[in-house]
Amino acid sequence: MRILVIEDDALVADAMVRGLTQSGFAVDRVSSAEMAEAAMQRETFDLLLVDLGLPGMDGFEFVRRVRRAGSGLPVLIVTARDGLADRVNALDIGGDDYLVKPFAVPELAARCRALIRRSKAAGNPQVVVGHLHLDLPRREARVGGEPLELTPREWAVLECLALHAGQVVHKERLQQAVSSWTDDITANAVEVYVSRLRGKLGEAVSIRTVRGLGYRLDES
Amino acid sequence: MASPARGFSIRRRLLLLLSAPLALLLTAGVLIDYFSTISPLSAAYDQVVASSIVAVAAHLDIGADGRVKSELSDQAIAVLRADNHDEIYYLVLDADDRFVAGDAGLPVAPEGRDNPSFADAEYRDAPVRVATYRMKTASGVVLISVGETTNKRRESARNMLSYIVASDVAQLLGTLLLVWVGVRVGLRPLLALRDQIARRSARDLAALDESPVPSEVRPLTEALNRLFATVAEAANAQHRFLANAAHQLRTPLAGLQAQLELLSSDLQQHGAADPALRERVARLHTGMQRLGHTANQLLALARAEPSANPAGDFRELDLADLAKDGVAAHFDRALAAHIDLGIEAESARVSASDWLLRELLANLIDNALAYTPAGGNVTVRCGIVASGEIAPRSAFLEVEDDGPGIPEEERVRVFERFYRIASGEHEGNGLGLAIVEEIARAHGATIELTAGSGGRGTRVRVVFAARES
Repeated sequence: MRILVIEDDALVADAMVRGLTQSGFAVDRVSSAEMAEAAMQRETFDLLLVDLGLPGMDGFEFVRRVRRAGSGLPVLIVTARDGLADRVNALDIGGDDYLVKPFAVPELAARCRALIRRSKAAGNPQVVVGHLHLDLPRREARVGGEPLELTPREWAVLECLALHAGQVVHKERLQQAVSSWTDDITANAVEVYVSRLRGKLGEAVSIRTVRGLGYRLDES
Repeated sequence: MASPARGFSIRRRLLLLLSAPLALLLTAGVLIDYFSTISPLSAAYDQVVASSIVAVAAHLDIGADGRVKSELSDQAIAVLRADNHDEIYYLVLDADDRFVAGDAGLPVAPEGRDNPSFADAEYRDAPVRVATYRMKTASGVVLISVGETTNKRRESARNMLSYIVASDVAQLLGTLLLVWVGVRVGLRPLLALRDQIARRSARDLAALDESPVPSEVRPLTEALNRLFATVAEAANAQHRFLANAAHQLRTPLAGLQAQLELLSSDLQQHGAADPALRERVARLHTGMQRLGHTANQLLALARAEPSANPAGDFRELDLADLAKDGVAAHFDRALAAHIDLGIEAESARVSASDWLLRELLANLIDNALAYTPAGGNVTVRCGIVASGEIAPRSAFLEVEDDGPGIPEEERVRVFERFYRIASGEHEGNGLGLAIVEEIARAHGATIELTAGSGGRGTRVRVVFAARES
């Protein structure tokens, strides 16, 4: 997974490069939008990490140009400005997610991973979360290469959680994901499927309960 | 705003200042009118009495020896005494003051400048007006007195007085009405200005419309408009400053914090020989996190203040969405602290600033997580409270924990900036609840700080003003 970091502050950029490299990404860094455009002509990247306050062409303009050129590359915007206008703008101009400085390195890595996974899932029907591997068209789940026996409803719950790994999935959403087979599935039923899944998944990944809200699938 | 204005009202002052002297003028007017009408009236009645003297005098026969004899016939006397309202008396005394004719004992008016002279006296237990004519004869002065009871005079004086009072009171009421209307109409531009100011939102810094403002007040509105302009410029400057400060502070903080994070994980991985070194880096890292947190809090607090926050930010939103996002965003921290973070959300719509409320909720959850020991529970709730029977229903957002709670005597103080609970050895900066309060105030919401359910822990509830319909 290759990430292009566009950040003019050397200290921040260095931390991003180190942190993401440690998390297993290949990382290139440039300090201006103009340099980023040149780099993107030479190489292919899986994610752009863009600081909004850049010298010369600013981050807004850069992302707008990337999108105008028709690129669907995931873009994570990193900004020191957290005003409402800035947040709305960041997403409006075509950013996929934003992170306000200062940030924790693990969170940065997690966001990058989630964005890349989401963009891959769109074209590639394989989802990988830690040791869990889902083949979406064949409805097959494997843990460390071993196939898992899942009922259709358990599969539906796991698929929904895995597609949004690292994010809280609301109970209502899981209910809807399961309801395509029968008329109404209660929230309690969802709990039952989740607890069965936990049993089958073991230590491979963890499904965490957010009381009253839903569940989150994380790498163990 | 209303209470200091109550003590002093220009309208009341004008009405009072005008009506008190007007009432005095009325009293003086009544007196002047009364006395200026009563004396000609009295003179006219005196004239009638005097003419009776002439009739009596005409019938006196004064002999050569000076003896006086009355030749008034009974018929003439009857004519003389004829009156519907008053008794009429007469008396004739000769030069030696001997009784000649008439009603003995009728008082005699003392001699005055005029002849006949007049006097008020009493006769047969009733007040009388007496006229006495001193007729010079060869033998001396003959006195002819005619007296008349005062019924007619008193009657007409009374009539006169009530007429005068009635007409003057009518005039006064008319004048007061004109004054009242005049004051009202005259003050109308001032009241319009007052309403214009009262209608404004506290965040509105636009200039006042000066077209209906009278010239006396114009210096005031001009000063206000200059002030508004200055404040608006200051707010803009503050806005720019905050945006710049945010960028200039956060970028190096982000760099330092991330570098320290990496350094500490490097040391961990490479199993650095010196555990004290790892400890020092870990401390630096924690300190840096606190610095970053405080910088964020200070910026949030500054931006929550009304002057930095234009009203245009407000829109319709559902507290349940906000609460769900808030819980999801804090789930990792709760997980790390081994605290069960949960939510009980019902849909509750409010008009609010989305990012301000997110900031508010983030601070409430942060606090709850910081002050709740491992194994504890933190619950975010939102919904509708019915306040009172005639249900204007208010939306609320609350965070409850089952930590050690806040002692009753500290509950007011915790909203002060930089205040920290004495007993806690926690790493707060004391800004969280100040931000919450500032944001609640910007939304016209109230904060209730109580113990949690079962008397344990802390519950902070933000109640939004009830909405119509």
